[in-house]
Amino acid sequence: MALTIISLMKQVPLPSEMRMGEDGLMDRTKAKSIINIDCSFALEAGLQLKQQHLDAKLIVCSMGPPSFEVSLKKALAMGYDEAYLLSDRKLGGSDTYATGLALSTLLHHLGFSKTSKEPFVIVAGRQTSDGDTAHVPSQVAENMGIPQATFIETLESDGEHIVAKRIIEGGYQTLRLPMPCALSLTPTGIPPRRPTLQGTMRARHQNITVFNVDDIGIDQRKIGLSGSPTIVAKVTNIQSERAPIKMSQGTDANALVQSLIHNIQEGKNVTAKETTKKKKTTKRPDFPEVDFRKGARGILTWAEVAEGEIVRPSLELLTPARELAAALGEETKVTTLLIGDDVDALASTLIEYGSDEVIVVNDKRLSEYLVLPFATIFSDVIAERKPEIALFAATTAGRELAPRIGVKVHGGVTADCTALEIGEHVDRKNKQIFKPILESRRPTYGESKLATILGFVCPQISTARAGTFAVPKREKGRQGIVTKRKVRLKKEDMCVKILQTVRGEGGLQNLFEADIIVAGGRPAGESDGLKLVKELVEALREQGVNTEWASSRPAVDAGYAEYARQIGQTGKTVRPKVYISIAISGAIQHLAGMKESEMIVSINHNAKAAIFSHADFGMVGAYEDLLPELIEQVRRGFTFGVNAT
Amino acid sequence: MNNSNVVSTDLLIIGAGPAGLSAAIHAADTFKENGDSKKIILIEKGKEVGAHILSGALIKTEAFKELLDEEEFDALPFDSQVTTDMTLKLSEEGSFSLPFHPPYMDNKETQIASLGALCRYLATLAEKRGVEIYSGFAVDDIWYEAGQVVGVITKDTGVDHRGKRLKNFQEGTKVRAEITIFAEGSRGSLAKKLLRRFNLDSGRNPQIYSLGVKELWSVPAGTVQAGEVLHTFGYPLKSDEEFGGGFVYGLQDDKVALGFVVGLDYVDPTFDIHAAMQVWKQHPKIAALLQGATLIEFGAKTLPEGGYLSIPKLYDDNFMIVGDSAGLVAMPALKGVHLAVTSGMCAAKTAVLALFKNNTTAAELSHYEALIATSRIYKELYPVRNFRQSFRNGLWQGGLKFGVQLLSGGACPFSGDLKTQPDSQTLEPLDEYRGRKFQQRFREKLHYDKKLTFDKVTSVFYSKTTHDEEQIPHLHVNNTERFKRINMARYGTPCQYFCPAEVYEVHVDKEGDTTLRIHAENCVHCKTCDIKSPADGITWSVPYGGDGPEYDYM
Repeated sequence: MALTIISLMKQVPLPSEMRMGEDGLMDRTKAKSIINIDCSFALEAGLQLKQQHLDAKLIVCSMGPPSFEVSLKKALAMGYDEAYLLSDRKLGGSDTYATGLALSTLLHHLGFSKTSKEPFVIVAGRQTSDGDTAHVPSQVAENMGIPQATFIETLESDGEHIVAKRIIEGGYQTLRLPMPCALSLTPTGIPPRRPTLQGTMRARHQNITVFNVDDIGIDQRKIGLSGSPTIVAKVTNIQSERAPIKMSQGTDANALVQSLIHNIQEGKNVTAKETTKKKKTTKRPDFPEVDFRKGARGILTWAEVAEGEIVRPSLELLTPARELAAALGEETKVTTLLIGDDVDALASTLIEYGSDEVIVVNDKRLSEYLVLPFATIFSDVIAERKPEIALFAATTAGRELAPRIGVKVHGGVTADCTALEIGEHVDRKNKQIFKPILESRRPTYGESKLATILGFVCPQISTARAGTFAVPKREKGRQGIVTKRKVRLKKEDMCVKILQTVRGEGGLQNLFEADIIVAGGRPAGESDGLKLVKELVEALREQGVNTEWASSRPAVDAGYAEYARQIGQTGKTVRPKVYISIAISGAIQHLAGMKESEMIVSINHNAKAAIFSHADFGMVGAYEDLLPELIEQVRRGFTFGVNAT
Repeated sequence: MNNSNVVSTDLLIIGAGPAGLSAAIHAADTFKENGDSKKIILIEKGKEVGAHILSGALIKTEAFKELLDEEEFDALPFDSQVTTDMTLKLSEEGSFSLPFHPPYMDNKETQIASLGALCRYLATLAEKRGVEIYSGFAVDDIWYEAGQVVGVITKDTGVDHRGKRLKNFQEGTKVRAEITIFAEGSRGSLAKKLLRRFNLDSGRNPQIYSLGVKELWSVPAGTVQAGEVLHTFGYPLKSDEEFGGGFVYGLQDDKVALGFVVGLDYVDPTFDIHAAMQVWKQHPKIAALLQGATLIEFGAKTLPEGGYLSIPKLYDDNFMIVGDSAGLVAMPALKGVHLAVTSGMCAAKTAVLALFKNNTTAAELSHYEALIATSRIYKELYPVRNFRQSFRNGLWQGGLKFGVQLLSGGACPFSGDLKTQPDSQTLEPLDEYRGRKFQQRFREKLHYDKKLTFDKVTSVFYSKTTHDEEQIPHLHVNNTERFKRINMARYGTPCQYFCPAEVYEVHVDKEGDTTLRIHAENCVHCKTCDIKSPADGITWSVPYGGDGPEYDYM
């Protein structure tokens, strides 16, 4: 029983060189390209697995234009045995749904299916830098009918199962999956190896097999624009709201810190608000309005439960849900699905936060979230209730659950939205106006653009970025309906076992309430175990300021802080009055967790660090030199303009 | 070492500069003429061919005529033919142009080019001939067997900054070759090892170098015409201590290549070539050219200028050294590209013949030096063999001495051939230097507006330099205690000034103690620190393949 390791890989433009074509679609012809970072971690995960299973075969698959062969060659040079490229102009314009379908058809064509006798495992990147959806691995898994695990950092195999470490909010989980299965890898595990010269020389003579859509026998209507349930309706540039940073000047620690204090007292730079140019108002054409909902009504949300509590992002979700319900009118109801073990008591909480009805599913086996049974329950509820919109918080669970459900109900998904509105879509080609329709807006292309995505299949599914919407005001005693629901789960639904769940100390609620957060990066951990960071926090507390310390992911990984203190995409999203980052370079994942802070102060030895592009005040220098000086000033009463509580 | 990590080839070339590529092209051609087919592999450390190539560049074209067929020659991507050529002597405020052009700097039949663009083109010609080029691979070791060079070993990857193996560790590849041609460019780190191991420089003058700092600018239309060449000397250099000057080459599409080159035999321990270029740009003559202009690229590189008497023995059993690694730069004319091409061709001829005879011993490869002796390399370098040394004691005196040499066929009538002193030995200790220190001389001008003048870190940004942080820093202080005592205490840490990329920072803590911080990630691979640090202070070694600058049109 030889194992096959299949890596799904995408080539992407270098983030700095992304640009859009005239048609609103990605123009991939001009930019320099690289293997998508997450995919390169998946490639490495496959190679690591091979080290445990020396007879395993490694194959790499991709879908895209012929130029992708460069990256496939690199995968071969890293040690892959075979490379396949699905390449056809007809695939152009495919959304994630159509992509997932095309890739799973390719794999089927190569002889891999649920019923394959030989074990195989699919490893893919968590998400791509030019799309950021994280959908495709889930969609491929659902199309193939095999189990999945996403946000995986490391994995190993006993030949029949995969044991994988999955990143979750505030911690991690160890999962055991039967094979075949699909895994998506975060860019935090083992970094991709560099190809050796010997490997590169070997790859020079290896062939890449290229298929077109006819070769793999996929219906043309199911791919490309026609096979995509969602469209990108509009893309606009995002203007950075943060004005340029004020850097401290000086040649020694004392001067730099004095300059920082002076700058903060003086206030941040402000960008002059550009007067919005009058938009050309094109007259709304007089087309007939089409209600494509086919009777679907209502909004369905998911209440995610962790450690017996509803997670904060699921409560935040009720804010856009209520707004959308109001915009839709017609007494549109917000229904929330609550799944867990003995979670009845939480139903009334949800109603107080804004749900009109809570469907409660209690099952001992479902005390922790699992994608397979949850997706089954959801698709049953959707089939029965026919909601027009389904919303999930874009947590690590929501981001894999939504696309898996999407495939089950033949709908697309919009990932990680920061705005959700009801609008209309003018279809000039067919002279009709779709109304009402959900406009899901999401940042994309490295947060530089804001895309509006529309779906034409109900439910219109979106995930909402955690920390973007405020938790609605709790209305004590608000009344609603609680419906209990029984489920019958198949053995197949329960084939993935959670071996271990680790979360940090009580979630550290204070991080959400602190006025000042001081966050230390890995170098600060390496040099003094975050001692100076904690000293600064202590000094601020002594001044009566509600202060907490936090950390970046690399520092947490290295063991300098617990998971509960991690700020960033896979940690917490915070917006304190002042966020002080120390020796943190400013990876985009970290920025996602703190960039909404009112004031950001950044200390880094590297003047080129990305964090400085996102901060209001900065000091370039070794934090070991600067912090003692800063702590001294805090003890003398400097509190970054924050009052004692 | 398991066998899967070993590959083999007939001819191996290290470095895809003009010398290495010419060797590859000419070897492939010569094999073909003899009806032979041999494997040629070329390894380049830059991410792509051209990524680490930087030159002025004024290029004498005739060597390329010998290398390429007519059609290929005509398609060489030269930028512009030189149209006018002026030399200015700058003083602090003014300037005067030399009434006539020094004959040894004549640029007739000369093209302005981006050497990087030229190399990228040559690489396509080499690949067309079947040469396998692998860029993005670092070679940091030579493979010896029974005391002889039998190939090279590429660098291990996947170690942390202390050298501990990480999970993605990949052992380097051993490349076995019948003959290896080292074409690493100026101060090659492998050539340095070969020189020591085989005493290749015994009886020769020590090699001496210059550092060139170059900027590519986009100027308002009509400011400088394509083909215009301007050289300056004088300000801001001390004419009796600092040898060098600036250049301005007009390129197509309203681009201008600006450079400032200074011999590393200067004596002021606070002298700073990057800063000198920024001061130079503030001179009214130069500043006028850059009004409304924008910086596009920055880079820096050393070049060997010891000339004929500093050329080491260029071969031994199974290997040869070519191009800048061999020190083949015709100093008075500031030109080395055509000599690199010629040396590559000489080495290729020798290699093909040796492989045909199945004899790659030193005796057979000595043919290479014989070919050089009858080539333009000898003709151009021998008569000016004492040129650079003459300027050791200042420009005017040097000019006089050199004038005499031109009359006497290169000999120094009074003293015989002139010696050189390694650049690492010319600095005077900080307290003993009696002249006005560079940092004081130009104190008023060392503020950078980021429009006309740039600090080093900003400059580095324009070189698109990156380095993987997970590796042993490729810059190494050889002996920490001695470095503190000599480089820091005695000489005032000259690396903080001479490094054009702010790799070296002197950190002063609260107690006033100083430590050296090395920002290896800034390094643009010019290797000045390896050359100029007193008492062999610092060793430059090659980082991971693909690291370093990513020059586009330098």
